[in-house]
Amino acid sequence: MKHILSPTVIEDLSAIATKLHDRKSTRYLLWSFAINLILAPVVYAATGGTISREQSYALGILGIVTVALSLYLFLVIFQPEKF
Amino acid sequence: MWQGLFQIALTLLPIGIITPILGKYLAVVFEADPSTRLRSKSVLTWLDSVFSHSERAIYRFSQIDRDQVMTGWQYARAIFASNIVMGIFVFILLITQAGLPFNSTGLIAPTWDTALHTTISFLTNTDQQHYSGETTFSYASQVLGLGFLLFTSAATGLAVGIAFIRGLTGRSLGNFYVDLTRGIIRVLLPLSIVIALLFLIGGVPETLDPPITATTLDGATQIIAVGPVAHFESIKQLGENGGGFFGANSAHPFENPNSFTNLIATIAMISIPAALIHTYGIFAGNTRQSWLIFGMVFGFFIISIGIAAMGEYGGNPLINAQLGSSQPNLEGKEVRFGWAQTALWAVATTGTMCGAVNGMLDSFMPAGGLVTLFNLFLQIIWGGQGTGTAYLFVYLILAVFLTGLMVGRTPEFLGRKIEKPEIILASVVLLVHPIAVLIPSAITLAFPETLSGISNAGFHGISQVVYEYASASANNGSGLEGLADSAPAATGLWWNLSASMSMLFGRYVPILALLLLADGMSRKQPVPMTTGTLRTDTVLFTSVTAGVILVLGALSFFPILALGPIAEAFQIHNL
Amino acid sequence: MTSIPRSQRKHTPKAKSKGMLARAIKQSFVKLDPRIAIKNPVMFLVWIGTIITALMTIDPNIFGTVVGRDVRLFNGLICGILFATVLFANFAEAFAEGRGKAQADALRATKSDTSARKVLADGSISEISSTSLRKGDIVKVIAGDMIPADGEVTSGEAAVDESAITGESAPVLKQPGTDIASSVTGGTRILSDELLIRVTADPGKGFIDRMISLVEGADRSKTPNEIALTVLLAVLTQVFLIVIATLSPVANYAKTPVSIAVLVALLVALIPTTIGGLLSAIGIAGMDRVAQFNVIATSGRAVEACGDINTLVLDKTGTITLGNRLAEEFIPIGSHDLASVAQIALNSSVFDETPEGKSIVLLAHKLGAVDQVDQTTAAGIEFSARTRMSGTDVDGIEIRKGAVDAVKGFVRSRRGQIPLDLDQAYERVSRLGGTPLAVCQGDDIYGVIYLKDIIKPGIRERFDQMRQMGIRTVMLTGDNRITASVIAAEAGVDDFIAEATPEDKIEVIRAEQALGKLVAMTGDGTNDAPALAQANVGVAMNSGTQAAKEAANMVDLDSDPTKLIDIVTIGKQLLITRGALTTFSIANDVAKYFAILPAIFASAGIGSLNVMGLASAQSAILSALIYNALIIPALIPLALKGVKFRPLSAEQLLQRNIFIYGLGGVIAPFIAIKAIDLLVAAVGLA
Repeated sequence: MKHILSPTVIEDLSAIATKLHDRKSTRYLLWSFAINLILAPVVYAATGGTISREQSYALGILGIVTVALSLYLFLVIFQPEKF
Repeated sequence: MWQGLFQIALTLLPIGIITPILGKYLAVVFEADPSTRLRSKSVLTWLDSVFSHSERAIYRFSQIDRDQVMTGWQYARAIFASNIVMGIFVFILLITQAGLPFNSTGLIAPTWDTALHTTISFLTNTDQQHYSGETTFSYASQVLGLGFLLFTSAATGLAVGIAFIRGLTGRSLGNFYVDLTRGIIRVLLPLSIVIALLFLIGGVPETLDPPITATTLDGATQIIAVGPVAHFESIKQLGENGGGFFGANSAHPFENPNSFTNLIATIAMISIPAALIHTYGIFAGNTRQSWLIFGMVFGFFIISIGIAAMGEYGGNPLINAQLGSSQPNLEGKEVRFGWAQTALWAVATTGTMCGAVNGMLDSFMPAGGLVTLFNLFLQIIWGGQGTGTAYLFVYLILAVFLTGLMVGRTPEFLGRKIEKPEIILASVVLLVHPIAVLIPSAITLAFPETLSGISNAGFHGISQVVYEYASASANNGSGLEGLADSAPAATGLWWNLSASMSMLFGRYVPILALLLLADGMSRKQPVPMTTGTLRTDTVLFTSVTAGVILVLGALSFFPILALGPIAEAFQIHNL
Repeated sequence: MTSIPRSQRKHTPKAKSKGMLARAIKQSFVKLDPRIAIKNPVMFLVWIGTIITALMTIDPNIFGTVVGRDVRLFNGLICGILFATVLFANFAEAFAEGRGKAQADALRATKSDTSARKVLADGSISEISSTSLRKGDIVKVIAGDMIPADGEVTSGEAAVDESAITGESAPVLKQPGTDIASSVTGGTRILSDELLIRVTADPGKGFIDRMISLVEGADRSKTPNEIALTVLLAVLTQVFLIVIATLSPVANYAKTPVSIAVLVALLVALIPTTIGGLLSAIGIAGMDRVAQFNVIATSGRAVEACGDINTLVLDKTGTITLGNRLAEEFIPIGSHDLASVAQIALNSSVFDETPEGKSIVLLAHKLGAVDQVDQTTAAGIEFSARTRMSGTDVDGIEIRKGAVDAVKGFVRSRRGQIPLDLDQAYERVSRLGGTPLAVCQGDDIYGVIYLKDIIKPGIRERFDQMRQMGIRTVMLTGDNRITASVIAAEAGVDDFIAEATPEDKIEVIRAEQALGKLVAMTGDGTNDAPALAQANVGVAMNSGTQAAKEAANMVDLDSDPTKLIDIVTIGKQLLITRGALTTFSIANDVAKYFAILPAIFASAGIGSLNVMGLASAQSAILSALIYNALIIPALIPLALKGVKFRPLSAEQLLQRNIFIYGLGGVIAPFIAIKAIDLLVAAVGLA
């Protein structure tokens, strides 16, 4: 019960999510998971083993979401008409 | 205490006198009104003809068409192109110094990352030094390489400030090469010659002789570094550079021997950024507004000095408890300057983006640490050469936008509407600093062992790291030190490269944004003033601007300040 | 026409607030769709934050082990409050849209899908659906029909009930040719006779359709100012995102680790959610207010531009003075006496159906003149812009009245003498601010009629307000200089152009624009169209011609030119409301920092920064978030109504608003968060 949201569950969720969206967002999601394969070990190393592997994957995703939000905000700043 | 405060007041007094005179002079040099010519036959007209002749020679030699007016993009391109060329020249000079003349101590080439960091540092007017000048660079490197950049980087900043003021007041931006040449020939060179002479009188050495070997009283041999210091020192202060000839910077007795040189150096730091505000007033034809802005910045300045000076005067409670008496904090200070002059200098050097130090900033009480960091975050308490004044007006534009809406009109500044492009460009200026400071700080603190090499753990360590990047991004150059940032240390490479990124980012992105902003403003049709127009030259609006500056500055950096100097203060004072 | 007070004239029935509320609540959930949510950057971040905290409610340790008690409950509460914040913001927008929709529905009801009789090229008639009509088609309408589309009358004469769009119950006479009376609007009903109408707008692009889509907000594109503000809000959000994202490693280094849920809470508290949540509601409500004034704006941009107007160009007649000038006095000239002037004036006006003409007849009767002209044998001479005279021809005798110099010319051409005291009388009338009309019979000038202009009550005060707002008023009139200057002084306009032609209008506008000013004007005739197009804000009267309406960017359905002044106020209100709420939103952050930072960094020893004395770290964070969420619905009424606008100078306005929204924005949350904290602690949530 402690970690019901293991990466596989998240992937399942994202699979459901992608059904609701077009192909473009599917590609973005796939890319973010791919990047996370590299990012998560870095996060794991940075925390010096105080967190579990699952947690490092979740944190990696969170980091990617943060960067994506930041890029999105830059888009709003430079092309505000689109929003 | 009163003696210290009196010293501070005595130093600040001349600034009020210099500002209008130098401001007027800058306006004449950069032709606020082309019809003003010097008429009276005097030494000034003689000087003017000397300047004109040398300028014309330079234009002819480098084939500059001085009547060519540049757009924002062209002006920025000219800056980037010239800066890249200068950077490459100096980098090669530093790397090959071992084989060049004027290397009396036989210094070898620095590591590539030190050379790169130093080049970028001096090119961007930052003058952050991850080395000790006397043991790293030859006289040739110092004078021909770094000394050259001291002038050009200051003149580049000045040109940006002038171009920005021109655009804001509806003029075309001018020509970068002409502004650069004029800035050096008519402003920086003559003033720094005067200041260098004063330094010479004050006892600063100016020589190409090798270091002096002396025998001390107890018979040991001591090597005393000397060099062409006086002229280096004058432009270092005047141009907001701050890169010292010696590692100890202005705390070194040959850079800053006594109270007299200290006074001259302090005034030199503040004079141009303060005067540029008045220059704006002349360009805009509204000196009332420029005096109000001057007053606002001066107010910030006085309050900062007050906080820092009180912190130092109060001393360290932990030490005072052991001493059983109340003593000012003199750790890391030169006794010949004392707490007051050192506190004043610290605030002035972080406010103006000079970055020279006459004491150890690392040893300041948390109050001083808070103030100096906050100065670096705001970048407008006088601000850097030229760019500081421009940042000031970016804040003014943001204040106009917010308050202008509240009077029910599309906000306008000097009759020109503030619309989407202006807000985007002003926002870019606002965004650069948090990005260039917080992101590398976070990365460094995430990997403290591998990357940072911090000497102090805990809250002060946070201050050290954040200060280093804030100083780099603000193009200040001072440091809290205590970081293993010099090349032989394993972490030197990280510090050199990451700080270089912050310096480049903090210098050139805002310059581009400022020039485009000014260019856009200059092309707008001015709207006539009515009673429905928000006047920007009132006490009310100036106070509102002060509020906007404080809130925007404080909001972005409050968490970092809370974990750095504020937490440290609570710790020391045991609150 | 009868004049009904505006309050009763609103063409929309009071929307059923209960149904509207339900619809708005439903819409708040529909707007959770990420494709819609992504349009609002600030609230989108809150939405993502809700999802992250939801994950942390399910598994508190998902992003790293969190110590402490009731972590799941705490995360759940944060998630719930964030979700409520998003819903509140959606509700504000949905509610504003709902009000517009209610208005649109009422309009749509008038526009039932009618069938139209299309006149084909061979003259035959075919019944088609009104939606298949195209621009240029000719349709025939007969009494009782709904007019199927906007158009122009090509033949026939009929009474049309336009109350559906104007609220004016009296029917309007429509006939071809004349500028004003020839244009008809789709959705209005023909009451008598029949008309042939040439369709001037494709279905769906007609007048009512435009109005519907505007008040519904379907066509809403952001105004320039809204865009600039969006950029600023995105930048502030970006700054805080960077601040919070980089805070985690710094806090870890300081050995005061902060959970992700708390960081999300801090981020949401800091980003400008208040203005972010209300920004679009403010814009929609602004359009709605304009519509409530019975004005159709073609874009929000036009309404906003109203706030920036520097110069108002106004026609004298109908705007500054009441439309009808009345005969006040007859002034005999030369050897004639009052009775004979009255008689000749009466004779000249028997065919004159204008209010001026009727008032001359009335005054003449009062002075004892009797009807002498046999209307069957006499001929009426109509007024024309070229002759500037009208009159009657009886048995070869020409009786004329008109502008003094026109009559002078007429008399001279008949070799008559100009009496010496004519100019005196002319000047006397002009100095009184009246219009002098000379009357003559043949080559003999009898006297001068003094037509009195009546300045609208209260107009002077409105112009004084305009002046305070920094708006210059320019009056245009065909009157002579002396009359114009008297009226101008009496009404309190800043400048006037006398003896103006329609071309003068456009020149005045161009001259003002060359100085960088924004100009607004009203107009109705076809010859006003170029000036309406040239002006930054052109308001056409609904009674005006199609050409004028096309050229304008606003149409006033009540045809009341003074309404421009109200629209200026709405435009200013819009900007003030946005500015005030932005300032308030940013000022709030100071208190939120003081609530949250000491709480989360208590272990760093900065607990004494907790100046509000909040009960615990958890209750401090929850209180700040609850305040942050509740302030949105609390400010919905203000966003919809707009900040009350007072005609003050910029300086006074700034002082007032900075005091209320700036200083108030710093202080209010300290009090509110403390109060919420007391409640939260009392309930025992944290």
